[in-house]
Amino acid sequence: MSHDGHHSVVIPAPGPEFVPHTVAHHFDTPVQEFQAAKLGFWLFLATEILLFGGLFAAYFYYHDLYPETFKVGGQQLDWKLGAINTSVLLLSSWTMAMGVRSAQTSQKQKTMMFCALTVVGAAIFMVIKFFEYKAKTEHGLFVFPHMFDGYQVDTTTMTGSLPWFTDVHNVMVDSTGAPLPHGHLFFAIYVTMTAIHGLHVIIGAGLILWVMKGVAKGRFHAGYYLPVDLVGLYWHLVDLIWIFLFPLLYLVP
Amino acid sequence: MSAHAHNDDHGHGELQMGHHHVSSSAMFFNVLVALLILTVVTVGASRIDFGPANMLIAMLIASVKASLVILFFMHVKWDTAINKIVFLSSFLFLSLLFVFTLADQATRRIDHPMHVTKAKVSKEWAYPKPASSEKH
Amino acid sequence: MTTHAPVLDAHKSHSEKPKHYLNCSSGFWSWASTLDHKRIGLMYLIGTGLAFLAGGLFALLVRLHLWQPDGMLFSNDQYNQIFTLHGAFMVFLFVIPAIPGSLGNIVLPLMLGAKDVALPRLNLLSFYLWLSGAVLAALAIVMGGFDTGWTFYAPYSLYTNKAVVTIGLAIFMLGFSSIFTGLNFIVTTHKLRAPGLTWFRMPLFVWALYATSLLQVLATPVLGITILLVAFERLYNIGIFDPRLGGDPVLFEHFFWFYSHPAVYIMVLPAFGIISELVTVHSRKPLFGYKLIAFSSLAIAIISFLVWGHHMFTSGQSTYAMFAFSFLTFFVAIPTAIKEFSWVATIWKGSIALNSPMLYTLAFLIIFAIGGLTGVILGSLNVDLHLHDTYFVVAHFHYVMMGSIALAFFAGLHHWWPKMFGVMYNETLAKIACLVIFVGFNATFIPQFIMGSQGMPRRYATYVPEFQPYHSASTIGAMILGSGVALMVFYLVASLLTGKKAMQNQWGGVTLDWMSPTPPPLENFAHTPKVTTEVYDYSTLDLKSTQTPIG
Repeated sequence: MSHDGHHSVVIPAPGPEFVPHTVAHHFDTPVQEFQAAKLGFWLFLATEILLFGGLFAAYFYYHDLYPETFKVGGQQLDWKLGAINTSVLLLSSWTMAMGVRSAQTSQKQKTMMFCALTVVGAAIFMVIKFFEYKAKTEHGLFVFPHMFDGYQVDTTTMTGSLPWFTDVHNVMVDSTGAPLPHGHLFFAIYVTMTAIHGLHVIIGAGLILWVMKGVAKGRFHAGYYLPVDLVGLYWHLVDLIWIFLFPLLYLVP
Repeated sequence: MSAHAHNDDHGHGELQMGHHHVSSSAMFFNVLVALLILTVVTVGASRIDFGPANMLIAMLIASVKASLVILFFMHVKWDTAINKIVFLSSFLFLSLLFVFTLADQATRRIDHPMHVTKAKVSKEWAYPKPASSEKH
Repeated sequence: MTTHAPVLDAHKSHSEKPKHYLNCSSGFWSWASTLDHKRIGLMYLIGTGLAFLAGGLFALLVRLHLWQPDGMLFSNDQYNQIFTLHGAFMVFLFVIPAIPGSLGNIVLPLMLGAKDVALPRLNLLSFYLWLSGAVLAALAIVMGGFDTGWTFYAPYSLYTNKAVVTIGLAIFMLGFSSIFTGLNFIVTTHKLRAPGLTWFRMPLFVWALYATSLLQVLATPVLGITILLVAFERLYNIGIFDPRLGGDPVLFEHFFWFYSHPAVYIMVLPAFGIISELVTVHSRKPLFGYKLIAFSSLAIAIISFLVWGHHMFTSGQSTYAMFAFSFLTFFVAIPTAIKEFSWVATIWKGSIALNSPMLYTLAFLIIFAIGGLTGVILGSLNVDLHLHDTYFVVAHFHYVMMGSIALAFFAGLHHWWPKMFGVMYNETLAKIACLVIFVGFNATFIPQFIMGSQGMPRRYATYVPEFQPYHSASTIGAMILGSGVALMVFYLVASLLTGKKAMQNQWGGVTLDWMSPTPPPLENFAHTPKVTTEVYDYSTLDLKSTQTPIG
């Protein structure tokens, strides 16, 4: 298998609309290059799981401590919008899977189309997210314009207040109307989790756009479709995390 | 998901990235339909009160959905053993974080003979409310 | 290995000087944009080396300050910043990245018979992430400093008016630098082994780096999210760790130690790997219990995820959790002891060469025995309640981090120095420096064990006068240690300028790293080597035949 000297291995293009791929010089075979990149990317996805895992652990920790707060907090989110966004992400995951399949079978136009559809899905998701955040601001449950105002402590009465959590409609209360403990905590976790997830949606969409540039140049075909495959995996991970976020945040069990 | 076809028409040559599985479009579509149905099930199950099992059931449905995405959309079913192990181990080690952290929280207020004082410690004592902080 | 003659380049007969990775190209850009694992490793060596010297300087300042009971140099606030700087620099900029980043990067592909690491661009990205983290950490000093200790415990880290967000961002970057290095090494070990190099023919340094890499990939992300949450907490008061807002600081400690306990093994496993390598080469004897050492690395990696709560025995965690964590902690001692016994058994009746790498190795074996055993003492719940947050703990982890890891790093540095640069340092000075460091180290930390057991708390700028003799002894020890390190830096740098040429295979090693030309060319081997013999088989190599000067 070893190739002496410095001439590299080239994977030929399957048709005139494609370009050949040159295997990186430190690999002996295309298989080695593909498997190395794939293993590396799976390891990276594992780190993403553990990174989000910390947030999920925090969610469960406080869900156990303040179950009522979380229950009432979850009811303040619009589960219909959450369900629509879930479906949008699932559909975009499907278009991405089809995009990878099209690249595997050297169908340039279809690869382009499915990738574009995935980006559209990402855009719809973020627009809906934007309106959800806007509603949270209006209801005083997470006032984005005041999020960096800090925790205000009144030293004479020894009470504190959070400018980003005003609860204007007084919804974070129990059945007797008494305020629930630490109502802000649910929304802090909601915004932190969905914002980090949203950041991944944006990064994912950016990566797909980058892949589309390569598709247009004909770089990806049955012989070499590695970048499409890896970006696809990233996109599925974004979907995967949302599959857990949806029931935990919108339908608090 | 029995609809998948093994499509090997892209060749086995040395100058390929290797021997790969190309799933059929029908299989992908079936998975999508299953995922959308399970989303409806997720919402439906949240309307029924199973008591303490609520969380378990919600997470069970989510795990089934996640497994579908992982196995079929992410091609793990046809991936190499090492890649499977890598991805699975992330969940395994994450579960360690969950188990120990939540076990600590769950047992923290249980009296034990080792405690010098037997005083019951309430959640309110451990986490004092910042008096009317949330209200304005 | 089929042949022990170095696989030299076919064009060597040309009269021009042989091209290797150091002289194949020159100029700033040829280094700044290099994808060669050896050049990246060298940049790591310089970077982490400077961080070590900076961290060491902070340590000397701490020790000087503690010369008198009321403190000599700083205000309490300044003292808090200085010891935090010492801890954060040493842990995040030196101990974690040093061995994998420098020696690992340079040696691992050579040992595998590979042309480079599997993902060279990611390797360069790792280095730049490290560099950005280091620059940001330095900036944080100017932007108000940080005084939280390297552990960033909430709620203090949430309330202090120092540059915690900046240093947090730095640590986030350093974390991902570490993750990408680990990821790269795992892929390289799986996919780029030379033909015939089966898993159980791999040198133990590779096994150790592999186990380290698993920890880097699986534990570090949790540190990333923890530090992010601390930053969010400071930026917009999420309340997750803030007790004023219903948060639980103990949750921070769980998250932090879920990473930082495995991180202790991220630090020490590569050191174990170096020692495994060096005891066999310098005793000219196959390793005793090769497979046991290989598997004990993996066992340590896994057990390290189950014991983090032993850092939290006084933090208000559940009594039951404490029982479990204390019980599980003792299990770490088993694979660790297997290693220590195997090393000693390897040396036993070996043909020992008492050169400087071996002297550092022997120093390691003694110091690590003390560091490891005091760890078992601290792991027992009832004893720890007394010793927690005293100088006993400080002395224990310095026996591991400084005495064991840094000394193993020095040992490895001396071992591979002729391979990396093709020159030899002054052996006499090296032996003297090793002795000075060993004496200085023990003089610094044995007094700390004693005063710790008597109740001297850590992280205080002042202390009661009865502890002064111990503190003074410790400060004198630190100065001796510091001068030993200074001597080492001096002769190593001098060797680059005036050192005599090294041998092609300086120590008579039989692993693949010694089979490439010295110093190695770009892509390391003219032909991909084939491995046909078992690992550490010295019977096939005549030591005298290796002693040919290079060039």
